[in-house]
Amino acid sequence: MSDICFEDVSVGQDIPTVVKGPMSVTHVMRWSSAMENWHRIHYDWKFATEHDKLPDVVVNGSWKQHVLIQLLTDWAGERGWLWKTRFQFRGMNHPGDTITAWGRVTATERRGDFGVVQLEIGLRNHKGVEGTPGNATVVLPCRGGPAVPYPFDPACLGPASS
Amino acid sequence: MRVNYITDEVKSVIGTHNGPILAYHPVEASEVRRFFQAIMDPAPRYWDEGWAAGSRYGGLVAPPAYPPHHFRRPPTDPDPLDRMRQDPDFDGLVRTYRGLPPVNLPLKRMLNGGYEYEFFRYARVGERIYRSSTYLDIYQRDGKNGAMVFIIAADMYTTDNEVPLITATTTSIMR
Repeated sequence: MSDICFEDVSVGQDIPTVVKGPMSVTHVMRWSSAMENWHRIHYDWKFATEHDKLPDVVVNGSWKQHVLIQLLTDWAGERGWLWKTRFQFRGMNHPGDTITAWGRVTATERRGDFGVVQLEIGLRNHKGVEGTPGNATVVLPCRGGPAVPYPFDPACLGPASS
Repeated sequence: MRVNYITDEVKSVIGTHNGPILAYHPVEASEVRRFFQAIMDPAPRYWDEGWAAGSRYGGLVAPPAYPPHHFRRPPTDPDPLDRMRQDPDFDGLVRTYRGLPPVNLPLKRMLNGGYEYEFFRYARVGERIYRSSTYLDIYQRDGKNGAMVFIIAADMYTTDNEVPLITATTTSIMR
């Protein structure tokens, strides 16, 4: 787990990736079962391809989101905090795909005792195709300073610069 | 010819609110186990009781975006898969609309368009979770593959005493 501090971060920096896969129908079914999500496009090949005209069964967006969240919580560590994230599912993933979550720092700002980091994030498949563009805001401790308070309250941050 | 799916009836549900609704059961350790094993995130905060007890969480917690998945079918509700017997076109997706009014559209396919989250605290094992929901917007986009209707809903998840866990904004796409 990361023990990163705000002083370790700079704009343009890539954060460590998280890789899952190759995904299989079994992985997808495990998630669908754990979530009691019975949407047939995720495990019923005949329904997915013949009824819904999809190229194959589909890896759940509800599963893919957690790969992005793990990317960010792993990087923030137990003294930092994933505050916000948003992403869109613009491309589908299917069994056989290896999925890589990536992130790149786009802005940094010191706010009081803590550092606020903006990131561009996404998921790409093993062919390099991007399918889930997004962004995130992570709050990090400063070196020698306190951990980000838990539970997180945005009021702990100093005023924004603009 | 362009079909306008955003009828007055559809517009009328924008802004409607429901909740707080209490999930049927509290957060269970084995449910969290199945969850983190399925997402393949082995962080000790989800399973190592000794580690978690000494951490900022004070005990085992569920993954950050767990709360939206926590609302399961109570045993007194009818089995939605009964519909499979009569309707071979049934896609298996249970459209409960979070207890909000249904969005009545003559579109059969639903896709997950994405999420937006703000995180405050992780749900602890044993805690109860409540959900309050609002339709933020419903709009139509027309593309080369036909019309798509975007349903944007915001959910606030809390535990007892209205302690905030996360806010989630979801985009569902009907086509």
